[in-house]
Amino acid sequence: MTKQRRLSRRAFLKTAAAVGVASAAGLQYARWARASGPVGASQHRWAMVIDQAKCTGCGYCTLACRAHNDVSPDIAWNRVIPAGSVGGQPVFVPRPCMHCEHAPCVEVCMVGASYYRADGIVMMDYDKCIGCRYCEVACPYGARAFNWEEFTGPNPAVPQWGQPEIERRPRGVPEKCSFCSHRIDRGLALGLTPGVDPEATPACVVACPAKARVFGDLNDPESEVSRLLAEHPHYRLREDLGTAPRVYYLPAREEAKR
Amino acid sequence: MMAQTARPRRLAPFWLWVGALGAVMAAAAVGGVIVLWKGLVVTNLNDLVPWGLWITLDLSSIALSAGAFLLCAAVYLLGLKRYQPVARTATFIGLIGYSMAMLSLFMDIGQPFRFWKALIFWNPHSVMWEVMMCIMCYFTVLVFEMMPIVAQAGWFKGRWPRLAGWMSGVHHYAPFLALVGLGLSSLHQSSLGAVYGVLKARPIWYKPDLSVLFILSAGAAGMSLTVLASMLAGRLTSKARVDDRLLERIAFVVGWVLVGYLYFRFWDAFAMTYTYWPGRNEGLGILTNGQLAFNFWIGEILLGALVPAVLLLVPRFRRQPGLRMLALALVVGGVVAYRWDINLVGQLIMLTYLQNEIVARYTTYFPALIEWVVAAGIAAYGVLAFSLGVRFLNIVDHGQPAEAEIPVPVPAFSPAAGD
Repeated sequence: MTKQRRLSRRAFLKTAAAVGVASAAGLQYARWARASGPVGASQHRWAMVIDQAKCTGCGYCTLACRAHNDVSPDIAWNRVIPAGSVGGQPVFVPRPCMHCEHAPCVEVCMVGASYYRADGIVMMDYDKCIGCRYCEVACPYGARAFNWEEFTGPNPAVPQWGQPEIERRPRGVPEKCSFCSHRIDRGLALGLTPGVDPEATPACVVACPAKARVFGDLNDPESEVSRLLAEHPHYRLREDLGTAPRVYYLPAREEAKR
Repeated sequence: MMAQTARPRRLAPFWLWVGALGAVMAAAAVGGVIVLWKGLVVTNLNDLVPWGLWITLDLSSIALSAGAFLLCAAVYLLGLKRYQPVARTATFIGLIGYSMAMLSLFMDIGQPFRFWKALIFWNPHSVMWEVMMCIMCYFTVLVFEMMPIVAQAGWFKGRWPRLAGWMSGVHHYAPFLALVGLGLSSLHQSSLGAVYGVLKARPIWYKPDLSVLFILSAGAAGMSLTVLASMLAGRLTSKARVDDRLLERIAFVVGWVLVGYLYFRFWDAFAMTYTYWPGRNEGLGILTNGQLAFNFWIGEILLGALVPAVLLLVPRFRRQPGLRMLALALVVGGVVAYRWDINLVGQLIMLTYLQNEIVARYTTYFPALIEWVVAAGIAAYGVLAFSLGVRFLNIVDHGQPAEAEIPVPVPAFSPAAGD
């Protein structure tokens, strides 16, 4: 009798262990499948085109970004960098996250907190991130900023430059530009077109007084980004690295008049 | 009467030592609480140099633990049974080293209380994921390898005889554990270099050599620390018994590993001068001619590898315990210097991403006081754990096995000759 009881307990433990392992594996598989989500499964392929001939370096984009994304004044998701001059006019490189097709940050993130959305946007899951900063070391564009301390108190960019639309990030995680994915998603749900309707377009694009920034869908041949890239010479930052950014620049040239 | 007065006098230095280490650890605990409370803003880390002293400590602790897998493989896979007592010491040092690495990572990551998420959310594409998995698994292996050692301690056997019996049984699986440990360590000791090596954004890191250099330097330094700690224990306490011939042989092997390391290191550095690659040549400049030059030439190359290689390979020098210990200590310092330099050099140089203007920008980093205090505390924890191990777990004890070993080969050869 004792033998039977022992056997049944052993059988129970075996079954429990098997169920545990199977469910862990199943959960893991589900997460894995989602993390490596099929890029291109979406009908959209978002891209930004920045015309350096038009950019005056005013920095409105940075301020609008800080307000709409509730970014600390110590951090800029979108930096505007002076880059010499062409024909006597100063030239700037506004630098959001490049949303690379082959993003080093996504490849190195061990928990998959940096990931590709189906529409190609490189996103951060701020709840998954453990704060190891490997992505920050890996990014060739310096697009990531770490929250060394908590951002508390009022945001000086609010309300002049807009109202916060997303949650503030906690201390101890790096943050970066999301192409205002929340505006895109909400806009699409309302039947708007990102890049055309301001409510569905990244805040920096809407705020630009020189109309140097254009946002849109590369899958739509009629979109302004598609048209600009078809008609004008353009480049991307550090193309030699093979990261394939989704931010394109139209260079400032002496003869360029757009 | 005399024995009674002599005893407490001999004990006192040990407890003084424990107290001193405890004080450093207490200061570090205060520092650790401040870091957890205020965040990493209290450090000198920033967005240009996000990895600093604690990552160096993490890398160094893991490198200095490499003696465990090498000596266990030598004993249980190559059959060099006489090194078994040294492998015991190495296993214990490994267990301490990996726990030190985890402590420094706990301090370093921005969300320390989310560390468990690393076990649940997987990105198998990430080198860091592979390293983390290997480290967790290998730590488990080390815990199992420690079980028979703890079970042998008299006080443990007396208090929990059944548990001790079960734990001793783990000894039967030692070859299997050694094999798993060898596999896991070969993976992560080299891919810790690949963590840096895969980053295209940092040309001075972006190359396969780092993986090779990491595992070679870890092999030399891990064995060095094991031998050095054994020799120190043998001199400082009667609780440790060392067989100097075993330690001398291992020190000789370290000498040759250093020669291999220097060979690869030379070609690694020299190949960088073949052509100009923005960022890479500036990085080499920081090492050979810039802010890390003293560390590189003196700490890493001269004192960290060249001098100890000579001291350990020339029998006349190696046989002098003082010179041998000096050489081993230099190797340990050299690997720490190497980890510090490699971690920093890729970060001190930043490439701009402006078109046709991929120029380098330089930055600096020096750890804040709180980083030093916490790092010192973690190191003190390692030294304290080893000291307690020597005293209460007989971690350095070459007494019996080596003695029993000598007569065995002599009669073993004679019947073979008679055939």
